[in-house]
Amino acid sequence: MTDVMDPTISVSKGCFVFKGTSSAKNSGATKRKHNDDNVSALRKQMTGQPYYSTYTATWQKLESHIEALQSESYAKTLEDLVTYVKNECSAEGNMDTYDMEEIVPAAALLTGVNQPDHLEQFATLTQRILQKMSASVCMLQSRDCATLKSAVETMVYNFVENAERSPPTELEDEDTEQREKKRLRRTQCNMRQLLNWYRRKYIKPQLQTGSEVEDAADDVSDACESPTKSYSKRPHALVVILPDFECFNTAILQDFILMLSAYYTHLPFVLVFGVATAVSAVHNALPYHVTSKIKLCVFKTLTAPVCLNEILERVILSPKYAFNLSGKAFKFLTHIFLYYDFSIHGFIQAYKYCLMEHFFQGNAYALCANYTASLNRIKDLTHEDIESIRRLLSFRPYVESINDCKRIIAILTDDSYLKKKLPQLLRDCHIHFMLLRIFLEFFTVLVGDLPKCPLGKQRRELYSFCLSKELRDQPEFKECWQILSFMSKDEFVAKISKAISVTEDFMSAEIVGLELANDCMTTVTSKFQALKALLTRVVMAGTEDKSPTNTAAPTTTPATPESSKQQKFTSRQDLKDHLLQMSKQQNKPTSEYAQAVAQTLLHIQNEIVVCHLAPLARAPPLHELFVFSDVSTVRRNIIGAPRAALHMALNNPHYYLQCKCCQLSESNQLLATLPDLSVAYKLHLECGRMINLFDWLQAFRSVVDDIDNEQEQVDPQIQARFTRAVAELQFLGYIKMSKRKTDHATRLTW
Amino acid sequence: MEVFNKLNERFPCRKNVLKTLTNLIGHSEEMLPAAIHIYGHTGTGKTTLLKNFFNESIRRNKNKLNVAYVNCVESYTSRILFENILEYISGAIADDIKTENLKDFVEKLRRIQSQPEVQYIISLDNAERLRDMDANVLPSLLRLQQLTGLNICVILISQLPLEKFYCKTSIDDPITIYFPQYTKSETLEILSADFKNAQKLIVALLNRKKPEDLSTKLEIVDTVTREFFNNYLNLFLGVFYKACRDLSELKITARKCFTFYMEPILDGTVSMSDVSRLWRCIAGQLRTALSQVYIRSGQPETPVVNNDKEILKVAQSLELPYYGKYLLIAAFIASYNSSKEDKRLFVKNHGKRRKRLQNVNANAKVTEKMNTYIGPKSFSVDRLLAIFYAILDEKVGLTCNLLSQISTLVNLKLLSFVSGENVMDGTSRLQCTVGLEFVICISQVVGFNVRQYLSDFN
Repeated sequence: MTDVMDPTISVSKGCFVFKGTSSAKNSGATKRKHNDDNVSALRKQMTGQPYYSTYTATWQKLESHIEALQSESYAKTLEDLVTYVKNECSAEGNMDTYDMEEIVPAAALLTGVNQPDHLEQFATLTQRILQKMSASVCMLQSRDCATLKSAVETMVYNFVENAERSPPTELEDEDTEQREKKRLRRTQCNMRQLLNWYRRKYIKPQLQTGSEVEDAADDVSDACESPTKSYSKRPHALVVILPDFECFNTAILQDFILMLSAYYTHLPFVLVFGVATAVSAVHNALPYHVTSKIKLCVFKTLTAPVCLNEILERVILSPKYAFNLSGKAFKFLTHIFLYYDFSIHGFIQAYKYCLMEHFFQGNAYALCANYTASLNRIKDLTHEDIESIRRLLSFRPYVESINDCKRIIAILTDDSYLKKKLPQLLRDCHIHFMLLRIFLEFFTVLVGDLPKCPLGKQRRELYSFCLSKELRDQPEFKECWQILSFMSKDEFVAKISKAISVTEDFMSAEIVGLELANDCMTTVTSKFQALKALLTRVVMAGTEDKSPTNTAAPTTTPATPESSKQQKFTSRQDLKDHLLQMSKQQNKPTSEYAQAVAQTLLHIQNEIVVCHLAPLARAPPLHELFVFSDVSTVRRNIIGAPRAALHMALNNPHYYLQCKCCQLSESNQLLATLPDLSVAYKLHLECGRMINLFDWLQAFRSVVDDIDNEQEQVDPQIQARFTRAVAELQFLGYIKMSKRKTDHATRLTW
Repeated sequence: MEVFNKLNERFPCRKNVLKTLTNLIGHSEEMLPAAIHIYGHTGTGKTTLLKNFFNESIRRNKNKLNVAYVNCVESYTSRILFENILEYISGAIADDIKTENLKDFVEKLRRIQSQPEVQYIISLDNAERLRDMDANVLPSLLRLQQLTGLNICVILISQLPLEKFYCKTSIDDPITIYFPQYTKSETLEILSADFKNAQKLIVALLNRKKPEDLSTKLEIVDTVTREFFNNYLNLFLGVFYKACRDLSELKITARKCFTFYMEPILDGTVSMSDVSRLWRCIAGQLRTALSQVYIRSGQPETPVVNNDKEILKVAQSLELPYYGKYLLIAAFIASYNSSKEDKRLFVKNHGKRRKRLQNVNANAKVTEKMNTYIGPKSFSVDRLLAIFYAILDEKVGLTCNLLSQISTLVNLKLLSFVSGENVMDGTSRLQCTVGLEFVICISQVVGFNVRQYLSDFN
């Protein structure tokens, strides 16, 4: 095993949490065997490495891009929501419940089922609200609300504490006075406390500046008497966000809402529910006497798959970044998302993990940056890095393609010669991937909306398809091509020209600003020129060639019957041959139009699909520097498979223990040197649902005890070891002592 | 008496109740009754009336009346209840009113040195919650006058009649005031008092939308008369009174629908006197509003959905990961089949079932015996996973991601734990909470036939 020192491979296998970059640093350190305790020195060593700086630069760019995109896509809904909240708190906003005092405005945000992501969304929401209006926001999670008491305590505590933490805006003296009071114990937090706090902090100052006639502190009742007055007295909203509405205990939720509504005359609450399923969840949870106390407004966010597609297409597949995922890795990540959890956050983290894993392979991977940056890096490469480049899989075909002996030797031995060669190679790679991306756009339009979508309709699907297989040879591709060739002229022409225009748009939007753009553009435009010429032929074919085909058809069609009439078939064989010939003749594209279409398609296939949408195997040399394809490592490290790991550990302890004694030649071999637990486990695998303990013990003994003593009493030591192993298996949940049958254990796994 | 007059004006149709209240607690020089129990349906004005009554009374004689108004929902411990009351009554701030139990509370009340002419009123909203507190709270509150020696009165406000408050230790019967439901004509009278607000709402809406001919529209709104509004209310109540008697609900809906009613008039398409055409315009809107009368949605323009379609819509709009969907289907199958049938349903070579008359009779199912009609049965996590692997064509590893899907489904309330929520060994039991239609919908999305695997349909 090459990566023995990898920190994620340990005796206890399971899920490993990587908290961002810091653990990457640590893992790097262990690999380099710097076992210093001095963390800062380590860090310097790490951050000094070129691959690390490239990694951070790339990740920062990606992260900020993703964040910008996400905030853009949430923006609309959030904006609506914030406006709603704001309206409800102002005096004019809530006309429809004017003078009805106890109705709390509530917003239900339909967030979709990817719950891990919601907290982030609500954090952004919180920020927005705080930016837009004077408000305190409290995020109340269901785990804090096991009882009404804890719910209220958490809410009040959050409100008061958050306000203390935020910098004092107006009244310094008030603040200090409060601070000493605010050695708040949780148990002291109740609604009364909140009310006092609110009055002290927000109402009194206002009254002091405004009219000092009324004394708000002692009369409870003024507010509810004249609503207009009370509304104008509400400078500061209290927003309560329940991010996981479904998880709340309904009884507590009902009481909680009733309570808020009772205080609504004094404290301007606004509720925000994060509902994962549908609005009906709200109505299921709350009976009428509670819903009558709230005013519900529903907002929808984009669904998670839509968001993911956006991120994939605009960030991860963007030509701006030199880092690419191989088809398999890409598919693997999207697969986790679509099949398991719908968590965008999880996806991004997994992507980040791939990124770390990629750059961590060595300093040579620092070349995976944009073109000029990588040129600068070349001169810093050491001999080792150059060697690692030489070891790349695609390097060999490259060397073999050179037919000058001296140059081969130079490339293999002379570092400076290879360094001279590198820029050209890198350039080829860059251009290859950019062209791939450009023509992916073209191809998506071409085959994305065909009936039944044989190749898939999303860019992501096409991307992974292109990278992993030779497109031309796939049956799906052939099917697409057939559908395309059967299209009517208008459709076909429209499709191709749309594809061209979309691609050109894409180029002008995404490519133009990049390095090496011009080289790409020239290739693309030349290809499109040829394509357009062919397309005009297709257009012309229909109009001009109508008459010739019409005239041609009658001349050919009568010819065949005549000949068939003339010919007397002497045998069945003759007839069969003849028919075969005829069918072949008919298969030939008779009309010019069909010919033109076929030509166009052939051109697309040869010039675009084969050249540019090539699988990785045909990618230019050194593409490994830009493509991450080590799926198995990622899979091992980001997907926890507890049962599989346990099975591995028990079935083949050598895998983890790395000891000399337990090396197994095949997996079901039994050795006396194996740990007792492992022996017992392997024996129990051979049994059915019920395991006879005595038989098991005998088998155990025969494995562990090499002396053949069938008749004798079992050695108490062995029996003890056996008992212990069985108890451990029971503890691990593999067996259970049966109550129905004496001296039998039940297997719990299947 | 002044209080009575003023409130009688503000709250029409509550004359009797007001009179009783005034007689009982409206005279500042008299001794208060020990306790009053006020009950009646929601939306009959108990809370509002009482609050206003207190406000007015306090305004008249500020120093002689001390009122505590506490909502019992908030009082999850009796301590909070006592402290709230004390804070109102003694006007002290939180720190010096620590009250651990009833004894402290009574002691604190006793210690309030006051002139004999001061009256104290403690009014407790949602008083039915008092029954869930310590057994001594409710009886002692009802005889607080005796215990403290103050001129104090406890008012219980509740939706339940007094009989529901009786407990083992018995309570002193308080004076009972019943708030009857409003009759139709009374409702009409109260709603018509809302005329100005409805008008204001329209003006506000117009101001927000800012149409081109804002000024002319505003003029039209000004010309609306009270009779016109009453006519509208008659129409409105004709539709709604059968479905809903809750006053505040009616009030909100009436305001909302009034804007729709006014729309054709504001557009100038229908004149204000043409009642029948107006009715034709509004009828559809009213029907829509009727179907979502208790839903209280903030957006008036949400389209109507009837119940069947709603399930479909929810199922379709529910975006679950692929395996999540299969897990849900597996959970449904596990919930509605008995585990005896599993072998027959999921194992390929399960052997022929012999047809015996007994079996045939047993299988001739009446609808009442259908599993899908009886309701979900619980199943273990192991069985869920076994069925999941049986119905899924492809091979997937048993990973953390997959297992965490189960807890996600539980979080979404699509599954629920029956037992063993904290047990890790796969023996904890779950239940599927969604119905057949929902699951059929989900399974259509992934292209799977559930009926094939339900013993009811085989």
